[in-house]
Amino acid sequence: MSSWRTGDAPLTGADCFLRSFDDEARRFHGASHLSQLVLRLGPNFDADRFRVLIRAVVEATPILRAPIRRRFGVGPPVYRLARAGAAPFPPVAVEHAPLAAYDDTALPALFAARLSARVAMERGELVRFDVVRYGDGQRTDLAMTWAHLLFDGAGSELFIRRLDECFHGRRAIADLTADDPAPARPRGTLRERARRAQWWQAQMIGYGAAPPRSLGGPRRRVRQALAYDVVTLSPAETALVTERAAAVAGYLTPVLFYLAAAIRAHDAVFTTRGEDPGHYLVPLPVNRRAKGGDCVVFRTNVSLLWFHVAREHVGDLAGLVAELMRQRRDGIRDGAIEAATAAMEFVRLAPARLHSWLARNNLGGELASFYFAFTNEFLPGMATFLDAEIANGFHVPSVLPSPGTSLIMSIRDGRLNVTLIWQRGVISDDERLRLREHLLDDLVGRASGAEPLRSSG
Amino acid sequence: MTTNDWTRAQLVECVLESVRQLLAVGADFNPQSDLVAAGLDSLAVTQLMLAIEERTGIWVDESRLTPDNLRSAETLAACVYEQLADG
Repeated sequence: MSSWRTGDAPLTGADCFLRSFDDEARRFHGASHLSQLVLRLGPNFDADRFRVLIRAVVEATPILRAPIRRRFGVGPPVYRLARAGAAPFPPVAVEHAPLAAYDDTALPALFAARLSARVAMERGELVRFDVVRYGDGQRTDLAMTWAHLLFDGAGSELFIRRLDECFHGRRAIADLTADDPAPARPRGTLRERARRAQWWQAQMIGYGAAPPRSLGGPRRRVRQALAYDVVTLSPAETALVTERAAAVAGYLTPVLFYLAAAIRAHDAVFTTRGEDPGHYLVPLPVNRRAKGGDCVVFRTNVSLLWFHVAREHVGDLAGLVAELMRQRRDGIRDGAIEAATAAMEFVRLAPARLHSWLARNNLGGELASFYFAFTNEFLPGMATFLDAEIANGFHVPSVLPSPGTSLIMSIRDGRLNVTLIWQRGVISDDERLRLREHLLDDLVGRASGAEPLRSSG
Repeated sequence: MTTNDWTRAQLVECVLESVRQLLAVGADFNPQSDLVAAGLDSLAVTQLMLAIEERTGIWVDESRLTPDNLRSAETLAACVYEQLADG
């Protein structure tokens, strides 16, 4: 890879895959494909020192504001690191609010608005920070919002860790990326990679025979308007859920339990609407960091494993988990993860819109049923950020108007956070509550309609 | 070799070989070494189970993959042996 300071850093295949969604967000919805990490902090957060830290880190780390372009308009897109110095610094906006405005159960509306914004990646607008300081600093909410390809979820948490290390002098600011290896590239000869990519393409075309249906429906031209809420379970509830996940889906693959619950929650809404979605198609991100390569901060280092489920499998939670486990095993056996990596690598050379355009043509205008991720522990072992206690934290990736909904889960300090992100107009308030209650019923193993769980959303 | 012909020692060697192919373990990696510390995650363990299935013809039921059974190549081999014995 080129020098972090002067050369070009190529986008990964997964970056270019996400860039396809960004292209669609720009052209059809007046927005960008962004992601967000939220920290809810206790006392002692010093916004001024944070601003100084960010400025120093950005000066030493050009990728944070490097224009993304194709060199001379051709070839795979790259971060033009040498041009970063001419780009503006990422904004650090600080708002003040009365302490009474702080709400354990709701986030500042500003954060969702940031997620619906449009940024110019070609001018290096890649990341911004919004701080809401309550009272005399007794509480602070911090949102880092970025062009989704700058970090993946794991990379964004690593970045937060490194900011904290720099703040406390445990890492030199100039060395933020010093021990970062290049992201993993697909293995094998060109012929082998092409064969894998063709296998992946055939699989995707096969899904077209039984296309999915999302709550948002096929793509339409509407302005992006995202909203999200977060439900935080208590430690006791979380222990119950994780125990169930291990019992139903196995100690190593609890993610399939959460995915099954997410599918069934969406199905409950379709049932309410009196509609039959036919099939569900959901991509599951798979971390591609090489063993020992946990320090890759920047760019997207993931592949995808697709799950395609007929509605007849959805009626029973354990049966659905068994079907997902079978598909996962078969997918890994068939090399689906490597195939997706190889296919996305070829997308680097194609026009940005190609993937999204081909997928929607094949899937009746849809991309997927919804987006989903379970990212395990959020910032495990990290109790404070810049000396302020991390009371809670979670990820909030944006979702296009089609499919229109996304469910992201992670565990912070023994408490499960369930984040539902949706495009306004895609799902009514009643449907959203139905989705949430059905999901929580499945997670904790309650009969539907029982006493609602305490929630923060 | 049929599924019933495997001895415990052969299974330990089979698991060790598969782990060495999947994970970048050092020369000091042995039957008692910690698998999770060596980088065994949910993806790697599925790849490991597939490799074991290819060699032994047995797919180990996921419900048997407990933290205790995944502690080392030796404990995992014992788990595979039990499943072989159970038919």
